[in-house]
Amino acid sequence: MGLLDFFKKAKTERKVVLIGLDGTPYTLLKQYIEDGTMPNLARITNDCLLKQMDVSIPEVSSTSWTCFYTGCNPAQHGIFGFLDLQPNSYKIYFPNSRNVKMPALWDIVGNSGKRSVVINVPQTYPAKQTNGVLISGFVATDIKKATYPAELLPTLSELGYRLDPDAARARESKEAFIEDILDVFEKRRRTILHLFEHEKWSLFIGTVTETDRLHHFMWDAAVDPNHKYHDAFKEFYRRVDKLLGEVYERLDTSTTFMMCSDHGFTKIEQQVYLNYWLKSNGYLSFTSDTPKSIEEIGSNSRAFALDPTRIYINLKGKYPQGTVSTGEYERLRSEIADGLLSLEHNGQRILQRVFMKEEIFRGPLLEQAPDLVVLSNYGYDMKGATNKQVLMDTELFTGMHTQDDAHLLIGRRGTARPSIERKPHICDIAPTILKELDIAVPPDMVGRALV
Amino acid sequence: MQKGFTLWFTGLSGAGKTTLAHMVEAELRRRGCKVEVLDGDVIRTNLSKGLGFSKEDRDTNIRRIGFVCHLLSRNGVVAIAAAISPYRAVRDEVRAQIGDFVEVYVRCPLEVAAARDVKGLYAKAMAGEIPAFTGVSDPYEEPLNPEILVDTSVQTKEESFKVIMLRLEELGYVPKAEAEVYSEDEEEEVKRRLEELGYL
Repeated sequence: MGLLDFFKKAKTERKVVLIGLDGTPYTLLKQYIEDGTMPNLARITNDCLLKQMDVSIPEVSSTSWTCFYTGCNPAQHGIFGFLDLQPNSYKIYFPNSRNVKMPALWDIVGNSGKRSVVINVPQTYPAKQTNGVLISGFVATDIKKATYPAELLPTLSELGYRLDPDAARARESKEAFIEDILDVFEKRRRTILHLFEHEKWSLFIGTVTETDRLHHFMWDAAVDPNHKYHDAFKEFYRRVDKLLGEVYERLDTSTTFMMCSDHGFTKIEQQVYLNYWLKSNGYLSFTSDTPKSIEEIGSNSRAFALDPTRIYINLKGKYPQGTVSTGEYERLRSEIADGLLSLEHNGQRILQRVFMKEEIFRGPLLEQAPDLVVLSNYGYDMKGATNKQVLMDTELFTGMHTQDDAHLLIGRRGTARPSIERKPHICDIAPTILKELDIAVPPDMVGRALV
Repeated sequence: MQKGFTLWFTGLSGAGKTTLAHMVEAELRRRGCKVEVLDGDVIRTNLSKGLGFSKEDRDTNIRRIGFVCHLLSRNGVVAIAAAISPYRAVRDEVRAQIGDFVEVYVRCPLEVAAARDVKGLYAKAMAGEIPAFTGVSDPYEEPLNPEILVDTSVQTKEESFKVIMLRLEELGYVPKAEAEVYSEDEEEEVKRRLEELGYL
C-alpha cells in the first residue's frame, strides 16, 4: 500500500459517536430546542435528524439498554428487568452482564478489529473484556469490577469519576440531591471528553444516567414553570447541552453522531401495585402480612408480578409451589388480562394494553419471559412491590417511564440531514451503528439499520 | 457454538426423570444452551405410537429416541431423554451411536416409586391389570457405570438437580454457572439502590 493510499484510507475511516441520555424524552428535547434551553442541540439538528423512538417492553433501563447494545429481543438476550427469579424458585437475583445471552455491539465491533470506548451503559456490570475500554453503568457497585482494562483505574481516580449519584439524598433534601447529580455529571463529562481525546476508537458511547435520576424525583419541577426547582431542572439540561456542543465540535464529516434514550418520562398520577391487585382478586396470597418479596408466596397462588409490569402464571412444574396446569393456562391469562384492562381511576382506564408473552417476545428464552406484560397509560406507574396494602398511592417519585417517547438522533456534522420514514425502535440502533462502521449485521439481530 | 450432547435419564416409572429433565432444561436454557426434551410418555404418543411393551418394542422405542437424540446432539443441541429404558444393552447401543452421551440413573427403590404412584400405574400393575410393567412384572437393569447417579428417595429434587448440574460442568458439557458476581454486601447495595429508585 502506497503512502497516499494509506492516508486516503485513514481519512475515510468511519466512526460513530453516541451520547446516551437515560430517560430523556423526545418531547422534552423538542421543547428545550424551541425554548432555547439547548442551543447546541438546536444547532446539531441542522445536520442531524431527531426522532421519537419506541423502546422495549417492559420500558425499564436494564431491558431497554440491553436491547440497545445487542439489537435483540429480550427473549434472545434474557434481560426482562432489574430482577428475576432463579430457575425453579421464587428467589430473586439481579441479572448482570454475564446473564446477557447475546453479544454486545462493541464485541462485534471488536471482532472486526476496531476499538470501542463504552462509558456508563446500564446492564454492563461487571465489565467484561473487550477490544477497547468499558466502564460499566447501573447497577455497578465496585469501580474495580466496573472498569476494563484495570490500567484505566488511576485515570478515573484522577478524574474523580463516580459511578452513580446517591438517590438516597433525594429523601433528605432536594438541594443535596441536585448538588450530587451535578457533581456526578461533571465528573462523567470530564471522563467522556478525556477518553474521547486520549483513546483510540471507532465506536464511542458515553451515557449520562443522571437525567433519569433527576426525572424520577423531580419531574414535577420539569413540567411546572412555577416549581421551586424548575430552573434547577433546566440548568441541568443546559449542562447536558454544553456537553453535546463540546462533543459535536470535535467531530468531522466521516463520523456519525447519534443520541438516544432508553425510555421517556412523564408525570406520575398514581403508582399502581400489581401484586396487590392479584392478591385482592384471589390470584395471589402471601405467608405474611407484609411480605418482603415474592419468596413469601402462599400456597394456592395462581399468579404473581415482578417489577415493573411483568406478570407470571404460577405454573406446575415451573415453580416449586406451582398450581396452574397447562390446560388452565390460557383461560387464566385471558381472565387476568381482562380484569386488569377494566381497571379505572377517575373514570380513566389505567392500562393501555396487556400483552401475552408471545406478542412481544421472540427467541429461545421465551419460556423464561413473563406470561403477561402490561403497558399503562401515561400517569400510572406500575410497580411490583409485594408489601402494599392499597392498589394505588403516591410516594416520593414524581416521574415515570414511557415506552413510546424515547429519542433518537442521527446525522453527520456538515452533511445533509438523513431522513427516516418509520418510527425507530431501540433494537434498530445496534444494526444502524454496525452499518455506519461497515460491519456486517449478525442475522440474529431483530432491529434493522435505519439509514 | 455450544457442543451438543445427549443427557439420558433412566429409571423406574415415577422415579422423577421427567421432573429433573425439565429442571435441567430450564437451567441449560438460562445458560444459553439449545435444548430439546424427549419424554418417553410423550414419544409413545407420536414417534413410537403403536409400539407395545414387549422387549422388542421397548428396544425399538429406545432406538428411535436415541436416533433423534443423535441427530440433535450432532447439531449443537442438548438432547434430554427421559425414558424408563430398562434394558442395559440397548442403552449401551445408543451410547455407542451418539458418543457424547451422559447417562443419569435416577435411582428410586420400587417401594418408594410404588408408594408415590403419581400416575396410578403401580396400583394397576400390582393388581395384574398392566402386563410387563417395569419393576413389577418386567425387569429393570440398573446402569453399571452411569456418569451421574441421583437417588430421589433420599434427595430432594433440588439436591438431585444440583448433582446433575455440577457433574455436567465437571464433564465440560455445560458452561459453568456464573461465579457469584455480587458479594453479599454488594447484593445488599444493589438492593438498596434499586429500592431507592422504586424498583423493588
